[in-house]
Amino acid sequence: MPIDRKTNAPSHGISDVSAWVLRGGVICSSLVMLIGIVFTFAHGTISVHRIKTDGCDYRPDIIWDGIRHGQGKRIIEAGIYLLLFTPIMRVFASSILFAFQERDRRYTAITLLVLILTLAGLLWIG
Amino acid sequence: MGGSNSPHCTLFSVSVTEASQSILWLSEVAGASLLAGVVGSISGLGGGIVIVPVLTMLMHVPIEQAIGASIVSVIAVSSGAGAVYVKDKITNVRIAMFLELATASGALLGAGYLSRHINPQALYILFGLVLLLSLLPIFARLGEELPAGVENDRIASALRLNSSYFDKRLGREIQYNVTGIPWALCIMFAAGIVSGILGIGAGVLKVLAHEVAMKVPTKVSTATSNFMIGVTAAAGAGVYLRRGLVLPFLVVPVAVFVLAGAFLGTTIMERLSNSLLRKIFALLLAIVGFQMLIRGLGGRY
Repeated sequence: MPIDRKTNAPSHGISDVSAWVLRGGVICSSLVMLIGIVFTFAHGTISVHRIKTDGCDYRPDIIWDGIRHGQGKRIIEAGIYLLLFTPIMRVFASSILFAFQERDRRYTAITLLVLILTLAGLLWIG
Repeated sequence: MGGSNSPHCTLFSVSVTEASQSILWLSEVAGASLLAGVVGSISGLGGGIVIVPVLTMLMHVPIEQAIGASIVSVIAVSSGAGAVYVKDKITNVRIAMFLELATASGALLGAGYLSRHINPQALYILFGLVLLLSLLPIFARLGEELPAGVENDRIASALRLNSSYFDKRLGREIQYNVTGIPWALCIMFAAGIVSGILGIGAGVLKVLAHEVAMKVPTKVSTATSNFMIGVTAAAGAGVYLRRGLVLPFLVVPVAVFVLAGAFLGTTIMERLSNSLLRKIFALLLAIVGFQMLIRGLGGRY
């Protein structure tokens, strides 16, 4: 089986930065969520009923307002948002590296398009 | 499993029963999430396969909220395990970026347009049947350790998709070629549509595209699919957030324990043989296939 060896060694810069972004994202978001849990328990316990029914608010202004008033639930929601944006940040970081470090136009275009399509799905639709 | 309606009970005794009830309930959620993290990161499927049935059948969470929690858990597994697989250079970042084009556009079409015209029940049934049928090509190469005789196709050469990874079990660097890109694009586009309509990661279709169409080594399939599902799930999560279907107090234990499971899973996966990994995938494929059929026929799980 002839293997085409002259082509790419996997781009280490992009792998390392992706790994770093992903790890940073999960660590930050879990920390924020746990802080939210601590704040929630400071105000009392959480019943099973509340776990099963208390939904998320997606509006950034409500979340921001809640965080300023130390509401555990809003802090948790901020953590969920951080987690959600982690893979998207990974795509964003790769597009920058493809553009400026690898200088690979084709892959820069691909990653930017993926970024736009993903953000469109996240922000507009539903 | 009932629980009181009021979160702020003044009576000490009530509050203690409530707290112990919550803690018992949460430890069950934690156990299931840990398992989901391990299964999801080993197989590249994300973990919804464990989370959704446990939450709906054992914990009596409504199916939509269970899928909401599962989407968040898929992002956690994809990112947590992804960090390890990418750092260890098992993930093929170029394949992932290129094929994400197909998944992301499929998801957009699915969520933005098709979801209003396609009956989800029918889609579940179709999806289930496709998965069960795709067991056939998987079974044909069930015992194969590394794919043999694969040549790059034209697109793969142009985009430099072939690569190599270090196999910890075999103890050497494995070079591999990539073929069947047009097929892989079609499967990924379908995976995107399914995710966009049903709000699931459809990791199983992503692994299939790698295994059946592109014929890359199974560890690369798993790691690359795992890397991709985070982006798909993030796009779909917006819908669930806006409809209030993501429950913060449920998501925290799920996300934290799924992450722990995902890290555990990566150390296991890298030491497994490719053929065992493919057998695990075939089993999960059958389970997901039946799960989707049952859901399509109106079952709650």
